[in-house]
Amino acid sequence: MTKNPDKKSEPQVAAVGFNRPLLLSPAQDLQGYLAAVLGKMFLLGITCVSLMVVVLIFVFISKEAWPFFATHGIGKLLGSTSWYPTAEPAEFGGVSLLAGSLYVTAGALLIAVPIGLLAALFLSDIVSFRIRQFVKPIIELLAAIPSVAYGFFAVLIMAPWMQEKLHLPTGTNALNASIILAIMAIPTIISIAEDALSAAGRNLREGSYALGATRAETLVKVVVPAAHSGIIAAIILGMMRAVGETMVVWMASGNAARIPAPWWNITQSIRTMTATIAGEMGETAKGSDHYHCLFAVGFLLLVFTFALNLASEHFLSRARRLRGGSK
Amino acid sequence: MQLRHLGDKTFTFASGMSVLLMVAALVLILGPMLSRGAGALVFDGTVEYRKMQYDMHGRGQRKPLETQLKNAAKARAEVYRLMDNFAVMVDTSKVQKQAKSIFRQFKIQLSNQVKNGTLAPEQAASLKFAGKELRNKLRRAYKTSNAQEAHEKLDYVLNYADNRQLADSVAGQFFTLARQYKNVVSAAGLKHRETYAKSFREVQEIIKELLGPQPGEPIPDLAQFQYGSTRWGRAKILRDRLLWAETWVAQGPDQPLKKTRTPREDQFAGTELAKLFPIMEQNLEKMLLPQRTFYWQYFIDDSTPGHFFGGVGPEIIGTVLLTLLAMAIAVPLGVTAAGYLVECTGDGTFIRIIRTCINTLAGVPSIVFGLFGLAFFVLYLQPKLGVGSGSTILAGALTLTVLVLPVLIRASEEAIRAVPLTYKEASLGLGAGKFRTFVKVTLPAATPGILTGIILSMSRAAGETAPILFTATVALGPVPKSIFQPTRTLSYGSYDIAVGDRIAAMVPHQQYGMVMTLIALVLVLNLTAIIIRRKLESKLRGH
Repeated sequence: MTKNPDKKSEPQVAAVGFNRPLLLSPAQDLQGYLAAVLGKMFLLGITCVSLMVVVLIFVFISKEAWPFFATHGIGKLLGSTSWYPTAEPAEFGGVSLLAGSLYVTAGALLIAVPIGLLAALFLSDIVSFRIRQFVKPIIELLAAIPSVAYGFFAVLIMAPWMQEKLHLPTGTNALNASIILAIMAIPTIISIAEDALSAAGRNLREGSYALGATRAETLVKVVVPAAHSGIIAAIILGMMRAVGETMVVWMASGNAARIPAPWWNITQSIRTMTATIAGEMGETAKGSDHYHCLFAVGFLLLVFTFALNLASEHFLSRARRLRGGSK
Repeated sequence: MQLRHLGDKTFTFASGMSVLLMVAALVLILGPMLSRGAGALVFDGTVEYRKMQYDMHGRGQRKPLETQLKNAAKARAEVYRLMDNFAVMVDTSKVQKQAKSIFRQFKIQLSNQVKNGTLAPEQAASLKFAGKELRNKLRRAYKTSNAQEAHEKLDYVLNYADNRQLADSVAGQFFTLARQYKNVVSAAGLKHRETYAKSFREVQEIIKELLGPQPGEPIPDLAQFQYGSTRWGRAKILRDRLLWAETWVAQGPDQPLKKTRTPREDQFAGTELAKLFPIMEQNLEKMLLPQRTFYWQYFIDDSTPGHFFGGVGPEIIGTVLLTLLAMAIAVPLGVTAAGYLVECTGDGTFIRIIRTCINTLAGVPSIVFGLFGLAFFVLYLQPKLGVGSGSTILAGALTLTVLVLPVLIRASEEAIRAVPLTYKEASLGLGAGKFRTFVKVTLPAATPGILTGIILSMSRAAGETAPILFTATVALGPVPKSIFQPTRTLSYGSYDIAVGDRIAAMVPHQQYGMVMTLIALVLVLNLTAIIIRRKLESKLRGH
């Protein structure tokens, strides 16, 4: 390792005594070349671990999900709302789970996007550097609190409070989960949106101010449109955080596999895909239909977040291109 | 014009509020959890707590504890006397059993005497008959709730008291019982026995929870029943419940039931037990002797089932083991990959694919990591290594490695990129090769940044639950002896103690204590990272 690619430069460094030849013999040359190439290959191999892991994740999740798709077909999972995996005969209708994930994600985004964007604007354009130095760690701490701690808060503090103050039959419901998920998604949205807003450039802002626009007008009509790619990416990443979150929804959403009866009633209990996997995997027999079905749900989640990820990457790279062009 | 400025002001206000809202959210979420969790560490411990600590861990000194226990027992004696006396009246099943066993012994005694020849068989038979009669009358006296009838039966029994043959044998105990019960009946009357019974049972339960099992009673198997209230706060709640009976009273036909509180002293008015309540109100402190306690051993102690007593030691060990093992695998991989991505490559298609993979990895839901860990490490790899397909720390650590790898790569990449180009140029200009420049110059300069990334990934790994759900963690179990065993962790423990455990719901300080420990661990790691970064930033600005 130590005599890797710099084998060739070694004699020139050794200026202490010129007892070594300046030119390497062909064998030494070859040895140095091989060491460099092999070292590089080795490093490349380590770098490829992430590639390997992604491939392995896809292979193993789909391998375990395949028996379910082969025997039941994907239509079964996406075409029925009756989720009775342990009944006889078992029914694997995942629509209510999809709807549950949709409910909490939409609810979380409805709360998190306005607050997150406003806060990002506040941090990037309005507030002084010193306050920013103070607020940034707070956002980081919000992002760092473990999800199980958020879930703990949701189920032991938030749920009794909601039940008592809002007179609900149960405190663990879609609204509770949405609020907590929003708090968890906000830091992601803020940090990426703020990057995009700061990158929008001083000249745009100065031009707008010079034309007599107020700060709000500048921000809403000039800076935000200029940074829209990055903002969309921020929202998508926040959404991914909410879709993939497990512990909070498992603890706070009530785990009732059904679609709320009037569709707008978010104070009812729901159950998400992630919570279903977390809650039921421990109790299934390995290799049973139910086991493969849970992997199928996981596969859907994986595909969904993968697509979202590609979308966010597309928007981020567009933002980067636009920024590069404006310079 | 006015309107535009108003709009501007509103906008500024709204955006300021959104930041304030976040600060409020942080305070509202962390505040109650940390403060209530601190209750697991600092509280007023009673003498029962000190006894428990001495019994379980040998903590504290024997002499002072014994004096305290003696003093407490002295204060408690009166309570137990009142309770025992009243118990005879309300619940006669104990004395009924006693009467039965006396008769049984009496029979054995008679048959022994016949065998020895000290007693004629005919005489023994008649004595046996008389004993049976006494037993039946006594039991009937115990059963009735009519004082008149009870007196009659008891008098019938006591008529035999002069019979020397009976009085000197085991059957003599019948008369003692009858005299005792006669006192009770004439003192309290039996009319309200049924109404007393329910409330008295509650009183018994509460006293047992407050003061522990009565001296002389068998010691229960479960640790949670072996001691009274170990915490003064809990004792005060129990005392309140003892002094005030809560009942739900119907207000009207359609109205909901309303909770009302009546003093229990009134419920027992006129009986001897009424004296108990003022005693409990005034003397509870003497019975429990609370002292301010700092229970730092919370972080090393194991817990009794349901976390009723004890601490989170095994959970901390499990979390630390998992995290350190994951970091030991992830750090070399992550830093090497970051170095390679920054130093050795251009912007080729292959690298773009790798970058996409890292981003994908960062976006995979944590529960899918859990599924992957289950399918790959636990069910596929472990059997091949001969470990068996159960949860192990190793599988959990590998899953966490995969989870933190993208975080680590990104942070290290950023840190390496942030090293000023001049450093590298100087090194290259002195004739060092690319590799040497990286190892000797770039990497040391990037170390604080990489360290920040490592610490942040550690806090992420310590807090994650979903990935280790099926791969490493259990709710109950011994402290792991090797990395091929499952373990308890703080994160899964926090879930289980909040939702899954019925016993834990009775001890909120234990619930909050667990989550406080987890949050404290994560916060300390994060604050360290923030401080390191601050130092680094000011150093870079100083250049």
